[in-house]
Amino acid sequence: MLTLYKPGTGWLHRMPAGPKLLLVLSVVLGVSLLPSHWFSAGLAAAAGILGYALAGLGPGLHGIRELGRQVFAIRWVIVVTLASQLVFMGPEPALANAARVGAAIVLAALLALTTRVTELLDAIETGLRPLARLGLDPQRIALLLTVTISTIPVLGRRASEVRDAQRARGARNNPRTFVVPFLIVALKHADELGDALTARGVR
Amino acid sequence: MSRNGLHLKNVGVRLGDTDVLHDVSLDLDARTVAVIGENGSGKSTFARLVGGLLPRASGELGVLGLDPARRAAELRRRIAIVFSNPDAQIIMPTVAEDVVFSLRADRLPTAELEERVAAALERFGLTDLAERASHDLSGGQKQMLALCGAFVRNPELVIADEPTAYLDARNARRVADHLFEDTGHRLVLVTHDLALAARCDQAVLFAGGSLVAHGEPDGIIARYEAVLAC
Repeated sequence: MLTLYKPGTGWLHRMPAGPKLLLVLSVVLGVSLLPSHWFSAGLAAAAGILGYALAGLGPGLHGIRELGRQVFAIRWVIVVTLASQLVFMGPEPALANAARVGAAIVLAALLALTTRVTELLDAIETGLRPLARLGLDPQRIALLLTVTISTIPVLGRRASEVRDAQRARGARNNPRTFVVPFLIVALKHADELGDALTARGVR
Repeated sequence: MSRNGLHLKNVGVRLGDTDVLHDVSLDLDARTVAVIGENGSGKSTFARLVGGLLPRASGELGVLGLDPARRAAELRRRIAIVFSNPDAQIIMPTVAEDVVFSLRADRLPTAELEERVAAALERFGLTDLAERASHDLSGGQKQMLALCGAFVRNPELVIADEPTAYLDARNARRVADHLFEDTGHRLVLVTHDLALAARCDQAVLFAGGSLVAHGEPDGIIARYEAVLAC
């Protein structure tokens, strides 16, 4: 689910993680700052298509097929953005904003598709190193990001186990009876994760 | 103090207001040690204490000749801990990256890092799964990944707390074979599986937070079975 990385040999794969992070951030920022006009929707869509077509993700239309998969994965984000903005702002800003949000997400996914988390971790650590002078620990911040990413699917599975256990005992889906046991398993997981990090030499 | 094994003298552990381990005195220099006892007997507390995850409230403790309270960082470089729940031990999104994570603090040259990771993946049968999402693996594969992440650091001591608890017979056997394979490491194995305990050189029996007996596995297991029969 959260492991988007796909091995490859294209130029974006070969690009060092730090400059790649800056490049993707710049493009995403550029798309996000487009005005809410009709032409912005076209520009945002074009940026997404060009990004995937030129990223060197694979031979032929491989990049475009990957774009299709990414757009499908975030279809509800696009639909909800489009629908809510249609109601409150009208068709032109709704289409432009939905296209900008969609393009920003799929373009950001290019970073995850072409970069290993360890490389990203190193790049973030290096990028944050100047903050060490302010007393911040770049290694710890990078680790925090990684652990957060890796914990999401585990907690998702634990939530589904809690729901299954409740159904097995005849309980209906009820947020009140779900929250307490889920909180307990989440805290237990946090304890175990802390021990595991300590055991693996993390301060 | 034992230079290579475990040395405990009148060691006690408190969690909140409760004494969870009291007055444990023990000197062990065996390569493999089984820790057995009923649920709540203090086995896991003992493992966590020896692994430096819990502080002692009293007494004297030496693990590989080091005091975990004073030289925790050095001890962590020399030991590895494997838990029963592999989900909590997997940190990185892919199998290979998770193994790399274990060596991250060592700042190895890239070539050496890749070589060690590849060798470890090969040894634990994970080479073909290297790019797979760690959390999508089966329970057995996850525990193999946890072992791989532990052994890639070439630990001198491996502490395994019920590492086969969630596994089927085939995977439990594979995990046990890796733990017992003599690669120069020592093993402290907390287990309810008495057949596994019998494979160890020494066994330790806990009950109610106290050390009841230690010695040759056959005698200790027989004593434990006599307690279970009551």
